[in-house]
Amino acid sequence: MLAAYAARTLGPPQAPGAYTSGANVIAVLILLAEFGMFRQALLRDQVRLYMAQSGLISVLAVLVGADRHLPELYVLAALSAALKVVAIPLLLRRLLRGTGPAGHPEGHPAGGLTGDADIAGSGALGLASTVLLAIVVAAFGFFAAGALGIRSTAAPLTALSVSVAVVLVAFVLMINRRDVASQAIGLFSLENGISLAALVLAASLPLILEVALLFDLLVAVVVFGLLIRMHHLTGLRHGRAESLSTADLTSLRG
Amino acid sequence: MSAALPIPVIQLFQVLTIAAGAPGVSGVISRVEARLQGRRGPRVLQPYYDLAKLFRKEALAPEGASWVFLAAPLAAFTCYLTVPLLIPVLTTYGLPLGYMGDILGGGFILSLASFLVAVAALETGSPYAQLGASRAKTFAAITEPVILFVVFTVALITGTDLPYALAATVRSSAGQIIRPAHVLAAAALFMVILYETARIPVETHTGTNEFGMIEEARPFEHSGPYFALLKWGSAAKQLILYTILINVFIAPWGLASSNHGGAVLLAIVALLAKASALGVVVAVIDNSFAKLRLFKITEFASAAFLLAVLGVFTLYLGGG
Repeated sequence: MLAAYAARTLGPPQAPGAYTSGANVIAVLILLAEFGMFRQALLRDQVRLYMAQSGLISVLAVLVGADRHLPELYVLAALSAALKVVAIPLLLRRLLRGTGPAGHPEGHPAGGLTGDADIAGSGALGLASTVLLAIVVAAFGFFAAGALGIRSTAAPLTALSVSVAVVLVAFVLMINRRDVASQAIGLFSLENGISLAALVLAASLPLILEVALLFDLLVAVVVFGLLIRMHHLTGLRHGRAESLSTADLTSLRG
Repeated sequence: MSAALPIPVIQLFQVLTIAAGAPGVSGVISRVEARLQGRRGPRVLQPYYDLAKLFRKEALAPEGASWVFLAAPLAAFTCYLTVPLLIPVLTTYGLPLGYMGDILGGGFILSLASFLVAVAALETGSPYAQLGASRAKTFAAITEPVILFVVFTVALITGTDLPYALAATVRSSAGQIIRPAHVLAAAALFMVILYETARIPVETHTGTNEFGMIEEARPFEHSGPYFALLKWGSAAKQLILYTILINVFIAPWGLASSNHGGAVLLAIVALLAKASALGVVVAVIDNSFAKLRLFKITEFASAAFLLAVLGVFTLYLGGG
């Protein structure tokens, strides 16, 4: 263990093969998409970024499947793309329809119908501080996964570290943002991190288990959908502009 | 044509290529930018005419400015012409003076030049130049960690921090250029270069002075040959940074591997062509993004920092 560590840190590491590098680049892009979610100021863009991230997971599944000759991964990639790139964003957009910025009544072309809610100010910290905090958290994830000393045959180990970092950064997103939509996206992208870890560690996991995980996600979507609708309705009942802030839920405490 | 050139001559050519080519690259960028905006734009050679005009004009100094004000442009220009000796401008092999300093050494010399210009700006007593100098120094402090982490990445990949070594590593295999650490470090460096060369999204390069509040404000009080030197110097700095990005990180191909005249000539042409291609990319970025508000520049810097730090992380854990 120590010798391997020293070899890794002292000598110039050899350049890994094209497959390893490609898989790592996709994993890092998934992590960068997670960081990008801190920045998005519009709900629509947030959903779009989630679509891109989920698409990258499918691409990685195809890549691992092609390299390791695991044809069931193609099925998984197609299923995951259908669900996470098409179905969930579509559902989210429908749910968020009518949550335009204050002053744009429902149906107004500028916001009402597009779900163009401004969620920029919902962070508890400033953007630069959030990113720095998330870097620290991601570093913890990186080193924690590195210390596990897991060997995987399917995908490079860096991707596993990245997936732990994705999960932790998604937590930061959910904690930092106060609007319910970002929290939903945070939870869904957390699931993306777990998918990434599953691809790295157990690429040949029985398909039925993977599919069960995907459908678990659908339950989460329904729950969050209800939450978003509730917010919407209470906002309408109280006669003010619809709010997506979870701060409204504080009054529900017993 | 293929006569062997003495090594000191090639070394000289490195400096001359940067000095003579830099205004041309600036010209290409402003021309492309104008075309993209549907304007006709200045000639590609316009920066040379500007410099020639400025060199013929008289030089004025503000009242009370000391010799520092007049010495700074010369000293800064000297700094900018020293850096090409340290980086692979034309050759794949290190030239004798190339090992005087590593990447950090080159960075120090560039910072020294920027410091001298800032001191000269303070010397003028003009609030506008001082504002620019103070802002430039403030943001330089937050882009510095990014550069450091990029250097760490290079050091972890090659085991040294000599630019020649990284360029050779990149040339050695295709797997090298798509490994995440390399891609992340190159992207972070590119973002820093956008800042250092005063491009959108940090500030506008041309146009009204009100928008160029950081780099462009500093030579506000300089005139005549001194102003020409500062302008030429900032163009040279731009080409130097492009050269580092191209010949060390992105595309270290087309460099001369021998000391034959033809190969060196080809390397000069290749460098200017690659720098112009990068300039076109920069011009497209210039036209597709809005300038960030001053407070948002920290967010830009934090994004670059994120890329650089992730580069080191992926490399440190499992040789990504």
